[in-house]
Amino acid sequence: MPISKQETLWRRVERILPTVTKPGRYVGGELNQLVKDWDSVRTHVALIFPDIYDLGQSNLGLMLLYDILNQRDDIAAERSFSPWLDMEAALRENDIPLYSLESKRSLADFDILGFSLPYETLFTNFLNVLDLANLPLRSADRDESHPLVIAGGQSVYNPEPVAPFVDAFVIGEGEEIILDVVDAHQAWHATGGSKEELLAALAVIPGIYVPSLYHVNYHPDNTIDEITPTHPNAVLPIVKRINAKLPPPLTRFLVPNVEVVQERVSVEIMRGCTRGCRFCHAGMVNRPIRERPLDEILSALKTGLDQTGYEEVSLLSLSSSDYSQIIPLINGLRELLQERQVNITLPSLRIESFTDDLMDELQSLTPGGGFTLAPEAGTERLRAIINKPLSNEDFIATVRSVFNHGWTKIKLYFMIGHPEETLEDVAAIAELCKAVLSEGRRIVGGRTRVHAGISTFIPKPHTPFQWVGFDSLDSIQQKLDLLHQGLHGAKVKMTWNDPKSSLLEAWLSRGDRRIADVILQAWQNGARFDAWSDQFNPAHWQAAFAAVGLDPNFYSHRTRSLDEVLPWDHINAGVKKSFLKTDYEWSLQGKTRPDCRGNCYGCGILSTFNELRLVAPDGGWKCP
Amino acid sequence: MTTQQEQITRIRLKYTKGPSLRFTGHLDLQRLWERLLRRSGLPIRYSQGYNPRARLNLASALPLGVISEAEMLDFWMDEPLPTGTVLDHLAEKAPPGLVITEVQIVSLQEKALQEQMSASEYQITFYDPQQEDILAEKVAALLAAENLSRVQRNKTYDLRPLILDLMVTRSDTGEIGLGMRLKAEPGATGRSDEVLETLGYANTDYLACRSGLILKV
Repeated sequence: MPISKQETLWRRVERILPTVTKPGRYVGGELNQLVKDWDSVRTHVALIFPDIYDLGQSNLGLMLLYDILNQRDDIAAERSFSPWLDMEAALRENDIPLYSLESKRSLADFDILGFSLPYETLFTNFLNVLDLANLPLRSADRDESHPLVIAGGQSVYNPEPVAPFVDAFVIGEGEEIILDVVDAHQAWHATGGSKEELLAALAVIPGIYVPSLYHVNYHPDNTIDEITPTHPNAVLPIVKRINAKLPPPLTRFLVPNVEVVQERVSVEIMRGCTRGCRFCHAGMVNRPIRERPLDEILSALKTGLDQTGYEEVSLLSLSSSDYSQIIPLINGLRELLQERQVNITLPSLRIESFTDDLMDELQSLTPGGGFTLAPEAGTERLRAIINKPLSNEDFIATVRSVFNHGWTKIKLYFMIGHPEETLEDVAAIAELCKAVLSEGRRIVGGRTRVHAGISTFIPKPHTPFQWVGFDSLDSIQQKLDLLHQGLHGAKVKMTWNDPKSSLLEAWLSRGDRRIADVILQAWQNGARFDAWSDQFNPAHWQAAFAAVGLDPNFYSHRTRSLDEVLPWDHINAGVKKSFLKTDYEWSLQGKTRPDCRGNCYGCGILSTFNELRLVAPDGGWKCP
Repeated sequence: MTTQQEQITRIRLKYTKGPSLRFTGHLDLQRLWERLLRRSGLPIRYSQGYNPRARLNLASALPLGVISEAEMLDFWMDEPLPTGTVLDHLAEKAPPGLVITEVQIVSLQEKALQEQMSASEYQITFYDPQQEDILAEKVAALLAAENLSRVQRNKTYDLRPLILDLMVTRSDTGEIGLGMRLKAEPGATGRSDEVLETLGYANTDYLACRSGLILKV
């Protein structure tokens, strides 16, 4: 029998594997993986997380889509990840294309490549994957003989920076739309049409954005004049897609054969957030708030544990303590804990929603360990501006309660570079940390550990701060120095992000279509794994901006005028621009907007998705 | 609930480690087994304490990149069950590449498996065809050596006494390979890649399969 193409590919891969680090990343074959007979399915989809397996395999969203697609007999969904640098070199040296872990097929053999782009620092890796699959990088250079390249995830709420490389973007939640994309592909495939016809067919699917069907006009000052459709099927704006009801939780988890970052059963308990922190991209774009019923969560955890044998479960949401059934949930978890020997993590707890009851319950659930709080800013004034209002008094009272309940380790998250931030606000962060330390010393003594995690504020699209400029590197450095001074001698451990890496994120999240050339150039300069602090090289990006002839400050530091057409204005995340504008103006007055669970402020979600709400289950949406 | 001492059962398994588990190292394999035992629903015996773990005992670490037809493992249960039932429960939940080939009940008094290890047998398949006479010559020369000084992890050792047997093999389809038996006692374990490197082969030239584990009698 002749040796098939993928067999020769795999034979060649097997020979290079012993030469690379952690080769177990590149072989697949995990428990619960699904391998279908290649010729027996109509549509082959490769789901790609463009970072290494160790990170990507833990991505719940990607695995949900894997599960949903594979439930259909006529679809095979397989996985692929970025190779680490040594594996990339070995693949290139041996002229082996990047392949899928299931069938060990070159990515070029697939009908659809679906990229997950949750954050912007994956963009160069995304290009690298296309290149490793021997595919042209630009959509315009690919035709019907190439796979359709689609991308989704939180970063593509501003799709423009990678628009020239992607055939179609999935804006919003992917669970339903992914099947629409496959259906459209199948219908098109049956007719043997051109790529243009496929793109036109995709453009009419709600939530799909085909960037090649739009033209961007610029003003002489480089701001955008207008974004116009160039095809009758291209709609304006492109409204994000959401599910009326949260789809069933994943229970069929893959169990990796080598260690990955998160090995646990994760269940999303709630999607969206009603708090309205003005800096928070996730809180704005993931509206409306939808809760998963308690019994569904607990049964998914049990099934997941049975399926995997994992030792840990994790509940995901933007604000776990706001889950309306939090105490019954914790009680259910405690029963689970007594039944089986598992650890539980419950991230994203809000200071304001803490009651003594909740703390009692939590302490019994996760004894030892640390407690994380995120005041985000050092003063009441600034916390009002960012709409995370909290008095110092209430904060210290919570901290006191945490120590009184027996915790000894507290981790505090802060951001610097907020709009309207002064050096006094920054100095107050250090004071607050020291106040926490002294509370701890008084209550639990010398075992007290305080850790301050400092990140840099990045003004994100679709948030009330989308017009604000990113702080200058000099100013950020000055603020970090001030914190170091303020905490000097105090037993507070401080960690912080590289401001240059935040700056990259600012460029990439706020960019327009022209910045795609910078991304391409940076990748050609050698940029890879920009999310990795030990791999990120700012010089590649500086050189790329210079080569392309764009001013990086135009994208990052400039305060944009309120009537400017923003590069992402044609993407409708459900929250109206006028609402964001008002909220921004309120912030400048120090005016806060309360949690919208109790009172609707008309952000736009309900008017946009009015019909969808009618079909949603009772009580599923927590909008009033 | 305390288990009656006489109920405790020690189970010994033989199993394979197929190509998809080729790069699953010893620690990862340990975790893989803990999870498999957890999934199986068998009355696994756990260690006491804050972080209870399934009590299990792997016979001999398999170097990364080597597959196996003959791995061994002991684990303990809180109550006895027929070996067929144990096999069914484990087989249903085993990951691809791990096939359980034998289940037996062994005495609680036996020494730990690692301490019972005596030797390992390996079968080497070369990716590129080999000439039988040339390979045979290399093997003969190696076996004739009085000592084979090698350096591993900055320590010098003599590989020769660890090689109990080494021979050229011919498969049913006529492919020329190597078979070897290496000492595998605590503190004196021969590695197949060391033998092959001495013969002039890099780890990208062949696939090694452990074909047998030999316990002390």
